[in-house]
Amino acid sequence: MPVFEKKKRDRYSMAELRPCVEKLFELARQYGRIEEKDRKPVEQQVFALAINVNDYLQLENHFAHARFDFDTSGTPELRRIFGADSAPASQVIAKVPEVMGLRELLSRNPERAEELKTATMLLQEVSELVGGTESLALIPSLGSVEKEAAWHSPVDLLQRAFEQEKLEAPYVEMLGRFERVARAAGDPAAFEASMASLHESVIAQASTRGEYEKIPLEISYYKANLIQNSLVVFILGFLLVAGLWLFPRVKALYWGANLSVFAAMALLTGAIVMRCMIRERPPVSTLYETILFVTATGTLFALVAEWIGRHRLALSAAAILGVIGLFIANGYETLDKKDTMPQLVAVLDTNFWLATHVTAITIGYSAGMLAALVSSVYLIARVLGIKRQDKEFSKNLTRMTYGTLAFGLIFSVVGTILGGIWANESWGRFWGWDPKENGALLICLAQILMLHLRMGGYVREFGLHMFAAFGGTVVAFSWFGVNLLGVGLHSYGFTSGIHTALWTYYGIEWGLMAVAFVHYVIVRSREAAVREALAAAGKTPGASQQGT
Amino acid sequence: MTMRFIEKFVDGLSSIWLSCTLLTLLGLLTWLGTLEQVNTGLFEVQRKYFDSIFLIHKAGPIAIPLPGAALVMGVLFVNLLLGGILRLRKDSSTWGILVTHVGILMLIVAGYVKFAFAEDGHVTLYEGERSNTFESYHHWEIAASEALPSGELREIVSKQEFFENAVPGAEARLRSTDLPFEIEVTHFLANCRVLPKGPMVSASVPVIEGYFLDEQPKEAQNEGNIAGAYVALVDRANGARKEAILWGASRDPWTVEFGGRKFGIELRREQWVMPFSVALEDFEKEDHPRMMMPKSFSSEVVVTEGGADRKVKISMNEPLRQKGLVLYQASWGPSNARPGDPLFSTLAVVRNPADQYPLYSCLVIALGLVMHFGRKLFKHIRAESLRNASAATSAQKAS
Repeated sequence: MPVFEKKKRDRYSMAELRPCVEKLFELARQYGRIEEKDRKPVEQQVFALAINVNDYLQLENHFAHARFDFDTSGTPELRRIFGADSAPASQVIAKVPEVMGLRELLSRNPERAEELKTATMLLQEVSELVGGTESLALIPSLGSVEKEAAWHSPVDLLQRAFEQEKLEAPYVEMLGRFERVARAAGDPAAFEASMASLHESVIAQASTRGEYEKIPLEISYYKANLIQNSLVVFILGFLLVAGLWLFPRVKALYWGANLSVFAAMALLTGAIVMRCMIRERPPVSTLYETILFVTATGTLFALVAEWIGRHRLALSAAAILGVIGLFIANGYETLDKKDTMPQLVAVLDTNFWLATHVTAITIGYSAGMLAALVSSVYLIARVLGIKRQDKEFSKNLTRMTYGTLAFGLIFSVVGTILGGIWANESWGRFWGWDPKENGALLICLAQILMLHLRMGGYVREFGLHMFAAFGGTVVAFSWFGVNLLGVGLHSYGFTSGIHTALWTYYGIEWGLMAVAFVHYVIVRSREAAVREALAAAGKTPGASQQGT
Repeated sequence: MTMRFIEKFVDGLSSIWLSCTLLTLLGLLTWLGTLEQVNTGLFEVQRKYFDSIFLIHKAGPIAIPLPGAALVMGVLFVNLLLGGILRLRKDSSTWGILVTHVGILMLIVAGYVKFAFAEDGHVTLYEGERSNTFESYHHWEIAASEALPSGELREIVSKQEFFENAVPGAEARLRSTDLPFEIEVTHFLANCRVLPKGPMVSASVPVIEGYFLDEQPKEAQNEGNIAGAYVALVDRANGARKEAILWGASRDPWTVEFGGRKFGIELRREQWVMPFSVALEDFEKEDHPRMMMPKSFSSEVVVTEGGADRKVKISMNEPLRQKGLVLYQASWGPSNARPGDPLFSTLAVVRNPADQYPLYSCLVIALGLVMHFGRKLFKHIRAESLRNASAATSAQKAS
């Protein structure tokens, strides 16, 4: 394998990879014989890279057949069929039945073996060049969606020409339009004109089939780039919130931050609504969409909490959640490397259950993550001694965490049971101890336990926040972690590449909890020592004790 | 003294401390059972962690005894009933909690009814085939059948639980007045294959007519296990024995003759008779265009009951409910079928008396939670409004 310099970010151009392609494919063939679950990470990565490179090469060669004419001068009959000494691929494909007939005729006469060879060669050449076009189907079918759902690639039409007596004229015309685009590559004006003509004809046919209706909206969605814009505005909101921490009396900062976070949330909601309209689906039907939805609903809850309490804490949480959520969404999209609006597997093809179970459970995730975020803020503030004397600050954080958990519990419990009812409708059992089901149950159990511990007086403020922070990792386990186990019926949600991000989050949350706990123990033991000393001196303890 | 003990015992059983302990244990079992599924199949995990009273969890070299989820949920039921309903303070502030607890009790009852009384299996049919029975995915039975002079087939069936622990010295004996013999099961192997006994092969089980059952490790997916048993038919008149190997994947039953009567003996998946029959007319699988991803699959069946036919389409998320049974589109095959090849459709069949209980409990729980937390939210909003109003008044006065 040719050796090239390893780059810092391991990103290489196709030109750099090209000398290694043969070796890459050889390795991929070797690793492909190993069961996917048994492949080492590097083997899996090589395999995946080979598939991507292969796809790229296919796309690169997609128009190879369209760039030049094929020689049809080999026999008088071929010249007669095509009316010229050469013909473009579209014409050759259109005349496949005639050429096949000619072959049949020539094969009966041994003296014309050379001409038979010429006719065969023509078909072989076209087949070879058109054969690599399978991955891109840009030609709408002439039939209705019900009868012919799939669009065609040139190789499909070639096959059709071989199978049928004659290829329909509109298909030949469409192939011709592609050829005109390919041959106009060096002439911008001609390229633009031929592209416009091709575009128009594809749109016309797609409209006839009722498939174009949502396309302008989808184009607007991508052009508006609402998710990236939302992230930018969330960052602005976060900066204003940070300013507010430094200058708490500046009202303009408060209202500016409110406006920014609200605007960012509105942009994100707009993106989600557009996706719903394009897909004709409820807001959550893929793992990617859960991230968008959790971010939008989480920031909405926080803004509502801010509107009720006006303590500035919820506003800060909303800004932080918005920034983190959309960074995760971007990271996930990059890692997943797939269309974020894919087709759904058969079992998910039900808008009723997607709208009820999936939406409810995702709102439960959202509340769990928001509570974990608020509690993390509490633990950090406690360890760093921020606002130690401000009891109202801690109380507000606790109230917000409790309220969010209570709100989340309703959706987690109802969402989990609805999931069971859906499973009963689809698979014939309410509960099957499938990893994803268990993850949802774990969230419910953690939240119920937390509320009961508080009600029983076993935990107070500090304990509640420790539990809520831990609850965030339970949500993350249920949301992404169980998908990494690679078992279970919810195989449509499996994702690779999020392992590191997930363990980083576990590490941060558990590390924070450990530090907070050690800090708590030290403070408590110091307080106990002070109390003992005061008791020994015959005094009562002062008012500087911290509540737990 | 006794009364005090009973009171203390009931106090303990209804305590919130016990609730917290049980919730923690259930969470722990759920988490361990989830992780264990990576190495062991769901069926084994379910038996070990969730259907059990007691278990030993191995964390590396350390064996940790734990109560099983069945025990935990049983105690949780009692705890909830006593503490969460009977002894709960009943006033306007606890109505929501009470309703929620009733809903959770309903859910646990639903789980128990399903666990104790439900039957589930599948009926697999090629297009054109008909059946009025469905068979278990997991359990086996030994069936002795006899063709009666009237033309009917009489079957004497013994469920797996009666012979699954059979070993030499503690054999399982299956008796019926309709049979002139007893069926003695000496060995039962949950997963095995039949092998010829060659000179280089050692066997720790009996060899019958040159063959023996070679025990295999259990498959992660329990459906993949093929059970086997050693049986002896013992003549009730004279004690004469006829021994054989029964294997779950055998195509035909073992046929034997006793006093001029012919019997077929077989080990097969447990079967149940449906009060109607289903015939598969057409199975349709549709993929998304140009993808290997299934878009839908459905079975057109004819349900025949009491001489009347009814055409029904069973598809994902749209099962057939008939006479207490629910038939679901579960899978299809063969997976390597080419276009035009005959396909089979597997319909999961469930008889669950608690089929709709979860829906009712969900509604009750949702109502309870909304009542309780809605009340709390309302109080919180009112308190915050008052606080904000008083802060504004103070600010006005100060200015």
